[in-house]
Amino acid sequence: MVEPMVRMRGLYKIFGERGKDVLHHVQSGMGKEELLARHGHVLGLNNINVDMQAGEITVVMGLSGSGKSTLIRHLNRLIEPTVGEIIVQGEDVMGLSADGLRKARQEKMSMVFQKFALLPHKTILKNAGMPLSVRGHDEATCDKEATKWLDRVGLSGYENHYPAQLSGGMQQRVGIARALTANTDIMLMDEAFSALDPLIRTDMQNLLLELQKELHKTIIFITHDLDEALKLADHLVILKDGAVVQQGEPQGILLNPCDPYIEDFVSDINRARVLRVRSVMSAVSEADIAGEVDADKSLEDLITLSDGDTNHIYRVTDNGETVGQIDMKDLVRALVPRASSSASAAR
Amino acid sequence: MAFYDGFFNIFGLKGWCGEAASSAPMSMAELLAKSSGKEAKGEFFPFPSLDNLNESCPGIIQSRDVTKGIENGFLAAKPALKAVLDPITQPLSWLLDGALWLFATTPWFIMVPILIAISWFASRSKQVTIFVFASIMMLGLVDHYDVAMQTLSIIFVCTTISVLFGVPVGIAMSKSDRLQKSVVPFLDLLQTLPTFVYLIPLIFLFSVTESKLYGIAIILYAIVPVIRLTDLGIRLVDKDVIEAADAFGMNDRQKLIRVQLPLALPNIMAGVNQTIMMSLAMVVIASLVSAPGLGVNVLRGIRNLELGVGIVAGIGIVLLAVILDRVSKAALKRVDMTDVKH
Repeated sequence: MVEPMVRMRGLYKIFGERGKDVLHHVQSGMGKEELLARHGHVLGLNNINVDMQAGEITVVMGLSGSGKSTLIRHLNRLIEPTVGEIIVQGEDVMGLSADGLRKARQEKMSMVFQKFALLPHKTILKNAGMPLSVRGHDEATCDKEATKWLDRVGLSGYENHYPAQLSGGMQQRVGIARALTANTDIMLMDEAFSALDPLIRTDMQNLLLELQKELHKTIIFITHDLDEALKLADHLVILKDGAVVQQGEPQGILLNPCDPYIEDFVSDINRARVLRVRSVMSAVSEADIAGEVDADKSLEDLITLSDGDTNHIYRVTDNGETVGQIDMKDLVRALVPRASSSASAAR
Repeated sequence: MAFYDGFFNIFGLKGWCGEAASSAPMSMAELLAKSSGKEAKGEFFPFPSLDNLNESCPGIIQSRDVTKGIENGFLAAKPALKAVLDPITQPLSWLLDGALWLFATTPWFIMVPILIAISWFASRSKQVTIFVFASIMMLGLVDHYDVAMQTLSIIFVCTTISVLFGVPVGIAMSKSDRLQKSVVPFLDLLQTLPTFVYLIPLIFLFSVTESKLYGIAIILYAIVPVIRLTDLGIRLVDKDVIEAADAFGMNDRQKLIRVQLPLALPNIMAGVNQTIMMSLAMVVIASLVSAPGLGVNVLRGIRNLELGVGIVAGIGIVLLAVILDRVSKAALKRVDMTDVKH
């Protein structure tokens, strides 16, 4: 197996002055509420074990207070863990000196923030070039790189504006350009699109997917929005009260939620749009084939293709090769949460 | 027989008190009582103050010994204080004298355009610049140009020094809660101590003919807001932006210069504005200790009850205050980039 880009092992974070002293209570199973009531400490993260693979988008999802923002801040140690291991590209982040940590933040990980966090007194160009100028590159290099990435996120012509002159969506494009200018392998995105309105958010998601197709960064994306998570994730981690409830491939989680909490979560989702043909198809067994469909198409696309007729069976292809077939009746069953999870459990 | 005699007897302290009669001079109350031919009669239950206790027990000091003690202590420490403070503060005298000389010898037809240019470059506002020009012309018209320039030069030197010392102190305070806790009481003291009161020890320390005497008084009084607002400004910098600076690996120096100071600048400028205003207030009082300028005329107005002189000088100070305030506020508004609109 390939060495993951980021590996978190046995990570605990307890907020409060005597975090280390009350750690054993948590390790022996004390919950968040009880810890707060009996010891006055807040449980941030509870035994996190997550691998994040290179070139993938790992989405960490949870409601507010679930510890997702705490988790992402552990990667670059903006928050110090109480105990645990964080390995980034084979290097133990916890073992870094102050200088080493600064270097890692400059060269390995860049970050995009929910509230943009741009420098209000600097132009867009200088904001985007900031990561390089922090490293001590000369102004020409910074400006050149910044211009390139601003152009890439669709902001050419705005270089000399100030952040306050731009809309939220445009400011976050600057935030992304800034992270890209840093040219790091890992990008941490903390609720990067949560402050944007829905249409702009969809735009930004598409922009991110488009950039990712080209750049293959390792992206750790935090969100509280399941639709967003399912759209972006290669690997989905669901947090609740600081602990991982379920993690894995998003389609798998959708079809096989392991926990009532997640069942609740996924019940409001437009499954036809999120589920892929690949996730519902069965093995090839010759039958009346009504047509062909690509494995990565959504169920919604297939319903359109079949014009709502549930009596057909389609051949599923991937790059022209047949990989399976899909019965429209299975498709309809997959659209209902309970039925699909019990059906797949029976299978 | 004084009220507290019994008290000392009960505790058997009579011996400790001693029988020696008070060597202190007779108090006013005693004198009055004597002259009216009656024995001084105390209140029914007097407050146990030093003087009242002293009547029963001469071993206890009188209140006048406290003030005397402070004075003696100060006088005893004076040579040492003077030996240290005199050389340190000497440059202030030179600066003030130099600035006074410079502002006085520069002819008005050069000085006025320079002032206009400064207000233009600081404020970039036509209105403010025209107002500055009109005000200076008005002061000149009633022959107050020279004194106004003296006041201005003192403010110029004192504000500059206040900023030079105040901003670093403010930065240091914002970095350390402990330092902040220990400095704030001093700032409170400087701000609330009646302005006349801290002239007194300064008069003891330095000769009244030296310009640094009023220079120090003005700076001590005026430095407070710039320290406070620098500290506050840096502490108020958006936590998200600081986090971003950390996330991109800035060191403390880069953070301070690239993020904290620029974002705190509007607050720091507000502090500078207040410092200017307070040094203007103090420069009038400092005329009591030979600070030249408009304050001297105000003082003359009070001393000789020359109503007109006092009021003209007073209005001159108001004009200067408004000029300085408008220019520094316009400059403040210009540096506040968070306020830029489409």
